[in-house]
Amino acid sequence: MSQHSTSLSLQAEDNAQSSTAVFLVLRRMRAPLLVLILTFSLSVFGMTLMPGRTPDGKPWTMDVFDSFYFMSYTASTIGYGEIPYPFSPAQRLWVTICIYLTVIAWAYAIGAVLALLGDKGFKTALSAQRFTRVVRHIREPFQLLVGFGQAGELLARSLDDMDRRLVAIDTDQSRIDALELASFHNDVPGHVGDGRNPEELIRAGLLNPYCSGVLALTNDDECNLAVVMTAALLRPDLPVVARTTSRSIAARMRDFGDPRIIDPFDLFGDELLLDVTAPDTARLINWLTSPAGKHLTPLPHTPGRGRWVVCGYGRFGRRLTEDLLRHHIPVTVITPTDDDLPEGVTHLRGDATHPDVLRHADLATAVALAAATDNDTSNLSMIVAARRENAGLFMVARQNQPVNAPLFHALHLDATLVPTQLVAREVAARIGDPLLWRFVEGARREDDAWSQHLLARLEHDCGENRPNLWQEHLDGTDNPPLASWLASGEGRLGDLLRDPDDRDERLHCVALLLKRSDQSVLAPDDDEVLRHGDRLLLAGTSDAQRDLDNTLGVAQLFEYAVRGHRVGSSWVWRTLSRRS
Amino acid sequence: MNLEKVVFGFFVLLAATLNFGFFIGDIDRPELHNIYELMGAVVVNLIVVVLKFGDRTQMGAIHLATSLVASLQLIIAAAVWAYYNNADPMGISGADMSSVVSLSGGALFANIVSVVLLVIETASFRRT
Repeated sequence: MSQHSTSLSLQAEDNAQSSTAVFLVLRRMRAPLLVLILTFSLSVFGMTLMPGRTPDGKPWTMDVFDSFYFMSYTASTIGYGEIPYPFSPAQRLWVTICIYLTVIAWAYAIGAVLALLGDKGFKTALSAQRFTRVVRHIREPFQLLVGFGQAGELLARSLDDMDRRLVAIDTDQSRIDALELASFHNDVPGHVGDGRNPEELIRAGLLNPYCSGVLALTNDDECNLAVVMTAALLRPDLPVVARTTSRSIAARMRDFGDPRIIDPFDLFGDELLLDVTAPDTARLINWLTSPAGKHLTPLPHTPGRGRWVVCGYGRFGRRLTEDLLRHHIPVTVITPTDDDLPEGVTHLRGDATHPDVLRHADLATAVALAAATDNDTSNLSMIVAARRENAGLFMVARQNQPVNAPLFHALHLDATLVPTQLVAREVAARIGDPLLWRFVEGARREDDAWSQHLLARLEHDCGENRPNLWQEHLDGTDNPPLASWLASGEGRLGDLLRDPDDRDERLHCVALLLKRSDQSVLAPDDDEVLRHGDRLLLAGTSDAQRDLDNTLGVAQLFEYAVRGHRVGSSWVWRTLSRRS
Repeated sequence: MNLEKVVFGFFVLLAATLNFGFFIGDIDRPELHNIYELMGAVVVNLIVVVLKFGDRTQMGAIHLATSLVASLQLIIAAAVWAYYNNADPMGISGADMSSVVSLSGGALFANIVSVVLLVIETASFRRT
């Protein structure tokens, strides 16, 4: 019974939301309208009672219609004069009273309308209504972005460049104003709303069938958790990406479905260690996730094997230390507090901004220093002091405030942690191209030799600029030979990548990933057997992309390129060639 | 006792009674239908419409609809009367008056529905 009534009240509230503005106007206008009706009818009634005379001296009183007409133009201050006959003193007396009465009533009514238009609650109700309407009418897949902060804005920009649609909510009005000012190609509807409130998420289109994902990127871990919970309970089918820097929150998020958790500190640690342990893999991934046409960057400056000094043992310092230890890199931690440090760490108690403390860390024998406190000023001063001790140190800094970016930039650091940028790039890569993301995740686990080999293949086939990346879905519905070839179980990838003009030539492309239902094969080689329904992620020149599309789409080209049969396109030629 | 309910009930009933007062009498005899009663009915009906503004319940919506119907009928009746009484050189005839009165009769029906709704609402109100 109680459940029934809650669902009813929810529904009623939902209906109410859509027409709030109208009801607000009606309710507020009640008193002014009543005053207007009363004064008006009183004036009209009184006017019909006042004795007057016609020009020939006969007694005359106005009838209801004349009096209504006269009052209408008098009250609205139009004033056509005394009709149909000049008024008697009694009528004029009554008109004088009426003028003041009705003009005040009009002024009150108009004032009430104007006050209502300027009313904050009314404006909010109107904009909420507009937002609801816009979201309801979206007819293409969109992502629901909760939290339009620094990271949200960066992400929105890159998704917009990929022509993806977004709906954003944020608790801060100034951020929504910023959203409206930002010039996106697509319209990005935004509204002030708290992600903790399921109603707000529903209004932002959580239940809309075109909603294709939820991104919880607020600064508030609790809020992101609430968004993950709401999405998992109301739309369990949707992929959710959530940002958090807390491991306990991340564990609680994992209790609800399977959200992808973005932890900027973890990401940075992973990237940094990839740079250190497998620089070529890092290069490969950076290259493929950068914009098309970009040159392959030279090998990054890496610190090499040796001791790291981590200053500050907050959330980031702790993660970095753990990551370093996992790769058996010795670490010295400088922290004023007496934390329980993991095994194998040299602890130096003290404030790292103090020159004496840094001197004790024996920087001359270290290879890298991480300024990891949550205070930008401390981080900057540590780096300058450390450079004086050992100019060759690999420098890593955590930048907390976006406004300090120019200062960190001026120091020419080897790696700077900017959480918002990391989050935005990671999320954009993940939802921008899911196959590429699978490749990246797989590649991170491969060793450097594998990456070097793949880089060499890519450079050989596609040149130094970042190749085009595209997907092919092998279903063969439009191409019967392809379908039977896939069904035979003997179709090899190498045959598919032949040039349809000259089958002895290979197309200038490299298969990066083969996805078959839930499995994926990283950089499949030419002997890989293809099946029906496979998806391929390919990197290559645009010519190769066009040629492969032709091979897959045109039966004759397919027969030639893959099987080596020259097939005529006319019926006569085909019949003849079948005879021979 | 809720003053708002008193005022509301008062006007709803007054609208119906004024309407009825104008309506009663031989339909084609102008002298039996006082025009001030029609004017009063129009004004009170408009007041009732405004009083019903902003009520979001289902009952409130039907209340508003009935009053809108009644006001519309009465305003048309008043307009028809004003036309025949002032603009027509023949003055108001029995046939003209009967169309005015029948329009107000339609409004009376809507007003009765309004009163019935009021009674139902009151009867279904449970004291807790």
